Amino acid sequence: MLRRVICGSGVLLALALAGGVAQAQEPRLVGRLSDAARAQVDTILESARRDGLPSEPLVDRALEGASKRAPDALIVAAVRRLVEELGAARDALGSGVSDAEIAAGASALRAGARPDDLAQLRARRAGRSVTVAEAVLTDLVALGIPPDTAAAAVLAMAETDDAAYLAFRRNVERDVALGATPVAALMSRVAGGETAVADPTGRPGPRKP
Amino acid sequence: MRDPDQTLDRAIQTLREPVEIGEAFDRRVMAEVAGGSAPRRPGPIGRAGRWLIQPHVVRVSPLVALAAAAALVVALLRPWERGVEPGAAATQATARSVASAAVPTRFMLVAPGASKVTLVGDFNDWSVDSTPLVNGVSGGLWTVTVPLPPGRYRYAFLVDGRTWRPDPGAPPALDDDFGRPNSVLTIGGS
Repeated sequence: MLRRVICGSGVLLALALAGGVAQAQEPRLVGRLSDAARAQVDTILESARRDGLPSEPLVDRALEGASKRAPDALIVAAVRRLVEELGAARDALGSGVSDAEIAAGASALRAGARPDDLAQLRARRAGRSVTVAEAVLTDLVALGIPPDTAAAAVLAMAETDDAAYLAFRRNVERDVALGATPVAALMSRVAGGETAVADPTGRPGPRKP
Repeated sequence: MRDPDQTLDRAIQTLREPVEIGEAFDRRVMAEVAGGSAPRRPGPIGRAGRWLIQPHVVRVSPLVALAAAAALVVALLRPWERGVEPGAAATQATARSVASAAVPTRFMLVAPGASKVTLVGDFNDWSVDSTPLVNGVSGGLWTVTVPLPPGRYRYAFLVDGRTWRPDPGAPPALDDDFGRPNSVLTIGGS
């Protein structure tokens, strides 16, 4: 009798745990995605968490798709693609990196940086965050600079701080806005020893329309 | 008219007369008494009800009891579920904001003729209406200032609830998966 009771309790407990796992879901997606899309995204999120990858960028991507009224299949595909990029970034950066570094690394890879660029950046900035450096690399590519050239510039500045990176990007951006070609703007800033004129506050300037 | 006492006496006498019962009835009763028919067995529900009502003595080793208690706590708390409580997202956002000093960041868009402009991005869970811009005195200049902790943000403007526009004053985000381009903003923290 006692054995039966214990076995029965074990079965009930296992069912409760299994039910709990099946119901695990990201609350911010409730009401934003269809049930079918939400179930698929929740599965991807669970998998990402198990693999030690940040889930926040994945939730953000799903929410973005929902706000832009993208079809379910497109939202799920975008989240699935991003989780692969996060995994690739984490593999390139190695262990002990923050979620922000992994997310910024994933964006850099999407922009065209090579995994080896991220690995070198991490190695050269040992003990310091690579988040802003990765973000600046991505932004430089977005300005029209080829990924390998942008990566070389960012790696050349690996000893500087985040404020210097942001000032460098802002100045290249300004030069492009004034009419310089992206590569010429980058080269002139690198040749001019841009790191010496870093904005000490590290804050973005007033935003212009 | 009859005497009521006489009527009552006759009824009492009738009731006191012995009732004759046939031999067959006697045999049937004696057979039942002798155990010819077992008491009715209760069904599964009846048995379960009786089991629940009756006290039981269950002997469990301390190790099994501890394991069961731990499993129960895990099942109740469900640590693998993030933020099941309503408002958990806000709590996470608050924690993120408190963790590092927020930088007041001003967003602007020139949109003459627009009746409504909102800022939509990572920092507000891509809500299409939680961060409206204000139309300035000079017509068409919409602005809003948002405190943002250091980080990298993707965002866009939504004009009149239907037209998505990137920030012309910020780099474009390259990871556009939905055909409506975003801008990106990086706020340094070191």
